[in-house]
Amino acid sequence: MEASMYDFLTGPMLWLSLGIFLIGMLVRFVLYFRGLSWQLDRVAYKAYPLQGLKGAVNSIVKWLIPFGTYGWRKQPFMTVIFFGFHIGAVLVPLFLLAHNLVLKETIGFLLITLNPLLADVLTWAVVVSAVFLALRRIALPEVRILTTWYDYIILLLAVAPFITGLVARYELGSYTFWLTVHILCGEALLIAAPFTKLSHIVLFFASRAQLGMDYGIKRGGMKGKGMAW
Amino acid sequence: MNPNNKIAGAILSDAALSLFHKKQRETSKFKEGCSMPEGKFCNKKPVETEEELKALLGDTGGKQYYEEMKSLDIDHELLWKTIQNTLKSRMKTWLEICAHCGMCADSCFLYLINDQDPRQVPAYKIQSTLGELVKRKGKVDNEFMHMVMETAWAKCTCCNRCGMYCPHGIDMGIMFGYVRGLCYQQGFVPWEMKIGAGMHRVYRAQMDVTDEDFVETFEWMVEEYEEDYPGLEVPVDKEGADILYTVNAREVKHYPEDLAEAAILFHLAGENWTVPTSGWEQTSLAMFAGDWAACKMQVEHVYAAMERLKPKRMVGTECGHAHRATVVEGPYWAGRSSGKPPVESIHYVEWLAEALREGKLKIDPTKRLKKPVTLQDSCNYVRNNGLKDITREIMSYIVEPGYFMEMSPNREHNYCCGGGGGFNGIGLFRPQRNKALITKRDQLLHSGAELVISPCHNCWDAIRDLEEEYKIGIKWSFLKPLVISMVEIPEHLKPKE
Amino acid sequence: MFKKILFATSATEACDHAARVAFNMAQSYDAKICIFHVLGVPTRGFSQVVLDVKTKEEVVVDDEYIAWVEEEIKVHYSKQLETTRNFEIKVAIGLPHREILRAARELGPDLIVMGGSTGDDEDSVYKKSLVGSTLQRVAKVAPCPLLVVNRPAASFWGGMSNVIFGTDFSKASDAAFRFALQLVKTLACELHIFHALDIGSMHLGRIMTQDEIESNIRESLRRIRGRYIPEMKDVPEYDFEVWEGIPYVEIVKYAREKHADLIIMAHHTQKASREDTRLGSNIEQVIVRAGCPVISINR
Repeated sequence: MEASMYDFLTGPMLWLSLGIFLIGMLVRFVLYFRGLSWQLDRVAYKAYPLQGLKGAVNSIVKWLIPFGTYGWRKQPFMTVIFFGFHIGAVLVPLFLLAHNLVLKETIGFLLITLNPLLADVLTWAVVVSAVFLALRRIALPEVRILTTWYDYIILLLAVAPFITGLVARYELGSYTFWLTVHILCGEALLIAAPFTKLSHIVLFFASRAQLGMDYGIKRGGMKGKGMAW
Repeated sequence: MNPNNKIAGAILSDAALSLFHKKQRETSKFKEGCSMPEGKFCNKKPVETEEELKALLGDTGGKQYYEEMKSLDIDHELLWKTIQNTLKSRMKTWLEICAHCGMCADSCFLYLINDQDPRQVPAYKIQSTLGELVKRKGKVDNEFMHMVMETAWAKCTCCNRCGMYCPHGIDMGIMFGYVRGLCYQQGFVPWEMKIGAGMHRVYRAQMDVTDEDFVETFEWMVEEYEEDYPGLEVPVDKEGADILYTVNAREVKHYPEDLAEAAILFHLAGENWTVPTSGWEQTSLAMFAGDWAACKMQVEHVYAAMERLKPKRMVGTECGHAHRATVVEGPYWAGRSSGKPPVESIHYVEWLAEALREGKLKIDPTKRLKKPVTLQDSCNYVRNNGLKDITREIMSYIVEPGYFMEMSPNREHNYCCGGGGGFNGIGLFRPQRNKALITKRDQLLHSGAELVISPCHNCWDAIRDLEEEYKIGIKWSFLKPLVISMVEIPEHLKPKE
Repeated sequence: MFKKILFATSATEACDHAARVAFNMAQSYDAKICIFHVLGVPTRGFSQVVLDVKTKEEVVVDDEYIAWVEEEIKVHYSKQLETTRNFEIKVAIGLPHREILRAARELGPDLIVMGGSTGDDEDSVYKKSLVGSTLQRVAKVAPCPLLVVNRPAASFWGGMSNVIFGTDFSKASDAAFRFALQLVKTLACELHIFHALDIGSMHLGRIMTQDEIESNIRESLRRIRGRYIPEMKDVPEYDFEVWEGIPYVEIVKYAREKHADLIIMAHHTQKASREDTRLGSNIEQVIVRAGCPVISINR
């Protein structure tokens, strides 16, 4: 690969895709909250900000903990592959040494980095979990009936950077080729995120916050211990 | 009603829009000779007069009504316009962000009881109805709307349990409440629901019980029990009382003893209470029917009583959806941005727990329940208003320690009784409802209880029907008669012999 | 004395004895008789479907069905109705005791006539969640005297010569006494006042000595003399006795001995007992066993 391709992909293209990602996600997040309507939703958001906040935080935090809610406990296998996928999917892109080196070149500093062994384990977990997530869609009737080609594409889009990342990391085949593909996959993911279901990266928090506010303000939060998620 | 509230205006104007479109249709029909008239009973117009109500009731079982529904038109323009005006960020995101993960499946008792039929997965149910309505921009046909009606009223009781098990927090019960509103607007609503909504429009009560009937019956009941409880009375329209008591119209018609029992308990607790001559009905079948305009009228009627009589608090009867309609959701229908009714309003169990806690009512420990007892958690005020611990506090007073058996699951994770959301009353969907009762039946059997305490009219009815259908030998009761059987009568209130 | 009679019936053979008396009385007193029948119990939340009490099937109640049931009632009592001048047939849905009381409140009768308990069979449409029989619950709070005719032997309201008034010296008994007084004066017959001294060990926790019993009997006789006799000036023939034993047994025996045509008693204003529904109060036992009609009064 020519140096200019690599420079392009880790230079302007990276800025562009990150820019689209960050601004796009911010826009979606803000628009979500601006589009809430106390009367149509039937939740007095503004009238009880403290209870709303408490409810929102409770609603989000409990679901971020593996087996932290009745929902997670009811589906142990799903919980394992879900967190197997998401923990790595969040931590590795952010804290991988290789990424942070690029970051240092681009903006001048790096974040904390993962132990390389840990990074490997997490990434493998992402890929294996993704396989099981796909299998789950095929095998379970209650998931099959909901699943469309779009779901598979999103999964592929999400896991492609990790697969290609591993291929590059283990230097299988042509390193430069797979590195390029890996970067392209990553940037495709970033660009697609605000416009697809990948927007759940922020909308998960938004939606959970809303339901948390609902339960915190209207549906019992002011009457005692709050919802036991 | 704040005229500047655009959103409320959008909702309210549905009625106006509907009328406008109807006139438009009629005019164009006249011009073009269009041949799809609305039915005599089944149409987009709500039932608003006593004559219409009686006529609709006369169509036994809704025979002609459902026949007419087969050729009912959809007003596509109105439908889409309504969706655009009322389906905003929250619901739009819910529909879009669903990860199709299927985790909601085994949270839904209807999915579980129907042999885990994938078509009963909550996400599937809502995506195939509301999801489709949005995707097709309201361009749907009669057959589709029939399917939506069946899904919204026979495959969902709006118990809100699925929302608790979805990682994104997508509440499909709320969405089905919304869908019912769309169906009602288009006239695709079960016969009994249309009647129920009509009842509220005509009588401001769920049955044809007038204000006179209410006061008369209450006074009659008090007379019957006067000898056992000297000084028992029912103050009517008293201003500035501590408690304003509202009821379920079914008590007036079918279980008037409940009114007497309420009076007796207030009397024994020494409460300064009253009932309103007007605005005494706390329930809202209109909510089950999706008739938002009638919901608004109904709760405003009760709020007017609150504003007229200025009590310190309003206490409702033992009913789940009444509390949800009037206290939890009602303020929003009435445009109250505080989300609260004009006066602090509590459920009967909250009052009862307080009375027991503060010693206003004292239980004779020798008369406590000494048989295995369990407790039904009514969706509308346990899951959806946080009263899970209040009801258990009451149990601690009235059940001998060691005899209270929890159901499993319980509290906010408990299952719907099987008859919620109007399911109990819809003839067309009776088989589905009877199947749904199996969930609660099995819970009762596993709990080992002989008696289930069910402080909710709907749950009480569902359990009664459950026993009728499956004969498991369970006994069921409201709280009032149980408490009366074990309460100590203060000296000064005992009858003189 | 009786201008309006409310006859609550299941329109089956079980109530035929009561029917005989009710129609008999309507004729004798030229009273209006309202034949009241509860046809079923609503079985759904708030809909029109009802479990028919006879067929045990679900029916949808509409005007047609009501008219049909009314017709059935008319046919069942066709013979009696031939000679009845003033009658109406009223049909209702709901729990029997509640609807009977509701009808009584609306009609304001001078007397309610009912058959004895039909007893709950296994598949009765009335759910067992409610305590107490219809009879118990109506008798407890009926706004007027309640005449119960349980056995065929009891179904004769003809020439009245002997009326028994059973008392336990309660306020309700005083009301019953006033009614009894009015009745015997109107019918010009003998009044026999009776009090049963309850020696059942459950009441005292021990067995009374004979001296105690006899002293109690004397005391009760004194009470009767003091409480009721002063009012009996216009009554030509009367007597009174006190026997010891199990109250309902003694009353039935006394009634048998006196060839009673009617027993008048107070209904005890106790709450419908949850546990001993089967036992019932004294008056229920008397109703079930007496060879003549029994009138229950509570106020």
